[in-house]
Amino acid sequence: MTKTSSLSDKTALRDEVVPRRVRQFGSARDGLREWRLQRLTAIALIPLSVYFAASILSLATSDRKTAADWLSLPVPALLVILVVLAGITHALIGVRSVILDYVHTRARLLAAELLFRAVAVLLAGAAVLAVLKLFLGH
Amino acid sequence: MERPLSPFMFPIWYRFQITSALSILHRLTGIALAVGSILLVWWLITVAAGGELFATAHTFLVSPIGLVLLFGWSIAFFYHLCNGVRHLAWDAGYGFEIRSASRSGYAVLAATVLLTAMTWLYVFLT
Repeated sequence: MTKTSSLSDKTALRDEVVPRRVRQFGSARDGLREWRLQRLTAIALIPLSVYFAASILSLATSDRKTAADWLSLPVPALLVILVVLAGITHALIGVRSVILDYVHTRARLLAAELLFRAVAVLLAGAAVLAVLKLFLGH
Repeated sequence: MERPLSPFMFPIWYRFQITSALSILHRLTGIALAVGSILLVWWLITVAAGGELFATAHTFLVSPIGLVLLFGWSIAFFYHLCNGVRHLAWDAGYGFEIRSASRSGYAVLAATVLLTAMTWLYVFLT
């Protein structure tokens, strides 16, 4: 990788010089980390969310015992915890980019961001606790 | 701060384009999925809690409104998944030409319909 390569037809995924050049740009100074985390969680969510969707769409209408038995198995319990964590991280970055586009007042932006972060942490925590309770207490 | 604004992107001021329509749809389905995951986490909690809480959640999910929400969630999910893969290809530098961008757009729509139909056929047959 040469440092003198031009930026034409280079993307941050292909050439490490690109992220090095853009690292300090943008108002928040950490846009690249967020950009990467969104892609990383997106890639992780391809298999995880397909597994989750396939399971949840039939289980969501089933009785409690079927759902509880499923979550007491180690593989489903682990994968559901992972899909919740990756999904909520991915959703939070996405929702944050939407509010950055439409909320222009600094105070409102901060309030919205704190609110969405709080909701995300609560949801993730509650979901993990629920799975752990079913997995450990069966 | 009265600055001139560019016209809003959709749908009166600009000619319909599959690429911009799908871009907006990606954002809308993303928000819908974020809201929908609140419902799914709630369901997960009621499974752990059991009792009356689960009974309420179950009654809601098997009701017509609940089933329509699940169906809508599944369409949003498959669209966002397929279009997300399209975005990852762009991130890697592929498919930027207008022709391939609109072709991949129609492919995403077809895949969404196909995957949603297959999933619900599977759910109802098993």
